[in-house]
Amino acid sequence: MKFRVQLQCKNLHEYLKELSPEVLDRLYNHPATCLAVFRELPALGKNYVMRMLFLDHPLPQAAVALWVKKDSQKDHDQCVSVLTGLRLWHSQQLQGGLQGFVLNPVFKDNLRIALLGGGKSWADEGGNLGPDRHARDVESLDRYAMERWEVILHFMVGSPSAAVSQDLAQLLIQAGLMRSEVGDAPCITSAGFQFLLLDTASQLWYFTLQYLKTAQSRGMDLVEILSFLFQLSFSTLGRDYSVEGMSESLLTFLQHLREFGLVFQRKRKSRRYYPTRLAITLSAGVTASPASGSACSALGAIPGTGDTGFIIVETNYRVYAYTNSELQIALVALFSEMLYRFPNLVVAQVTRESVQQAISNGITAQQIIHFLRTRAHPVMLKQTPILPPTITDQIRLWELEKDRLQFTEGVLYNQFLSQADFEVLRDRAQGLGVLVWQNPAHRVIVVTPHGHSEVKRFWKRQKSHP
Amino acid sequence: MASEDEINILVLVLDVNPVWWGQQAQREPKFTLSTCLDALMVLANSHLVMSRTNKLAIIANLYHESHFLYPSKQWKSGDEISGSTDGKYELLSATNDLFAEEIKKLMDRTEISGNQTDSLLAVSLSRALCYIHRVSKEVQAGQDMKSRILVIKASEDSTLQYMNFMNMIFAAQKKNILIDACVLDTDSGLLQQACDITGGLYLRIPQKIALAQYLLWVFLPDADQRSQLLLPPPVHVDYRAACFCHRNLIEIGYVCSVCLSIFCNFSPICTTCETAFKMPLPQVAKTKKKKVKPAN
Repeated sequence: MKFRVQLQCKNLHEYLKELSPEVLDRLYNHPATCLAVFRELPALGKNYVMRMLFLDHPLPQAAVALWVKKDSQKDHDQCVSVLTGLRLWHSQQLQGGLQGFVLNPVFKDNLRIALLGGGKSWADEGGNLGPDRHARDVESLDRYAMERWEVILHFMVGSPSAAVSQDLAQLLIQAGLMRSEVGDAPCITSAGFQFLLLDTASQLWYFTLQYLKTAQSRGMDLVEILSFLFQLSFSTLGRDYSVEGMSESLLTFLQHLREFGLVFQRKRKSRRYYPTRLAITLSAGVTASPASGSACSALGAIPGTGDTGFIIVETNYRVYAYTNSELQIALVALFSEMLYRFPNLVVAQVTRESVQQAISNGITAQQIIHFLRTRAHPVMLKQTPILPPTITDQIRLWELEKDRLQFTEGVLYNQFLSQADFEVLRDRAQGLGVLVWQNPAHRVIVVTPHGHSEVKRFWKRQKSHP
Repeated sequence: MASEDEINILVLVLDVNPVWWGQQAQREPKFTLSTCLDALMVLANSHLVMSRTNKLAIIANLYHESHFLYPSKQWKSGDEISGSTDGKYELLSATNDLFAEEIKKLMDRTEISGNQTDSLLAVSLSRALCYIHRVSKEVQAGQDMKSRILVIKASEDSTLQYMNFMNMIFAAQKKNILIDACVLDTDSGLLQQACDITGGLYLRIPQKIALAQYLLWVFLPDADQRSQLLLPPPVHVDYRAACFCHRNLIEIGYVCSVCLSIFCNFSPICTTCETAFKMPLPQVAKTKKKKVKPAN
């Protein structure tokens, strides 16, 4: 019996909500984090923050409730809870005894700084290092970033050419994307397959979350790392920044980022680094959750990430993928049957067997469809819906076929000596609400595991006092 | 929630008529062009911060020309951008510096002649439309684009441009572009019509000092969010048209039956399409008589 593991990718809010209030308050000490958190608020929330940003006095809660129309009261309530949950504002007693809202002063000040300036600079500029003799242009940075990232993906699918550092391999295992038997090379898990099918932005975000989870155990300061990460995501592509003034743990972090391809550093000891497009689009993956069908095709729109569409799906279940990348071909092969291979094109067929094979590997239909949609060829993008509905429906139906069985754990009671015994026990189990299944003809019942001890005790008492 | 692959363009059209702003500075020393520019920058920055895909353009509008302040021709993305030194988001500081520099240049260049206090609004708006159109051509497949124009209007209406203005409004309506208007001084009938036709918001600012707060409250939210928010009620729209002969605003006038041109007084030949109206009232009676005679 195999339980499917669904890859859970939290968005930034869900992640931040789990942090302790002290950590949250410290996070807001940096303009970049304030900006990032602000950007991920629901639209109405952004509006509230903007309206209160330049007010110094608390506002009565009743007045805030009047900002929205009656019929969007639900959105308002949700918005209030998000803002309170993130500690962006808190309630305060007003003079007249009314409850009022006031923005978190630290957050307010730093968001103002991010918006209008007037604070300290975020980091030392590369400018004071003088111009770089080995300056990089945007294209080479893009190429570099994609190469680095693909090495990780190649490593996951087990390409012999791909080699990553011990640290990274360890991280992949901890994230549950790979599994390692003692003495064996690590191999990919079902979560890993699902990971491969995500778009780059979501992959990156998922990976970062996993990294942050283990960061504290490495003796790194979570707040420091997060601030730096957000700072990176708001930097300018093609500019160099200096490592001056960075702490020891941040420098280690920078080396890790270098390995993921988020920053480019010419040499390990180099005094400057360039953020790559991966780092800058990092927060683009934040909002997109893999389950939502609309999850961003934004990456496809970002030139140079190598993710531009190359797949054409036809209604006869043929998949044409215009690519040379071994990795992409391997990904397509995860859920389809390869037919032909040409120098710049592979042709595959989506069949019932191939899809069910993928599903038994732990990939969901939704993920397959999402993969096809986000990698769709520009020609496909022009039609609505992007994928032929027959294909998407059929893939979902194939998944449902697998779902005919539902597994429930249970404990079996059988070999009752009499029908009366059977009925007494069955009624007891039913009364407790722990009965899973019964068959009076064969005198067999199944109860849930947690009800087992109660039923067993009852049966023992029953036997001793017949 | 706004999805990431939706591009939101905001084009700001700012009236920088030097004559009007000069008079304004004398009337109210607290509210000058630079305070207005500050408020505008707050709005511009907030718009850019809202989402990664938001885009911005700013057009300045004078009585004899209109000028792109941002993005300007001189600036290319590859150029060296001065980084932020005071903790501001780099993109914003680059935008603001550029904006300030352009407006300084523009002000130095402008020569004040006469005391025209009206501006070439129609010209700036058409440039805004052209800009939006150009950006929409560059949008990739599968991406949505929403665009709106916000006019900050200080000086008076110029009925001279009535025709161009109306054409511009209908073009915007066809393209689903909202036109918002934020009026600092006297109400503008033309802009009221523009906002009403395109579904935008028209607001005359009651307190000019609070301009920034009004901008953030009313004009920052996009069309989707506006449906949720309680905003100032729509104003009564002045739907008077300007006549083609003297550019006066009139409520009752003469309309050419062929080309629908409007005139404030009667003329036997339409000046627009040159149709001759053969039957003015007194002659109608005569022709009837002629027709009657042969029948006898």
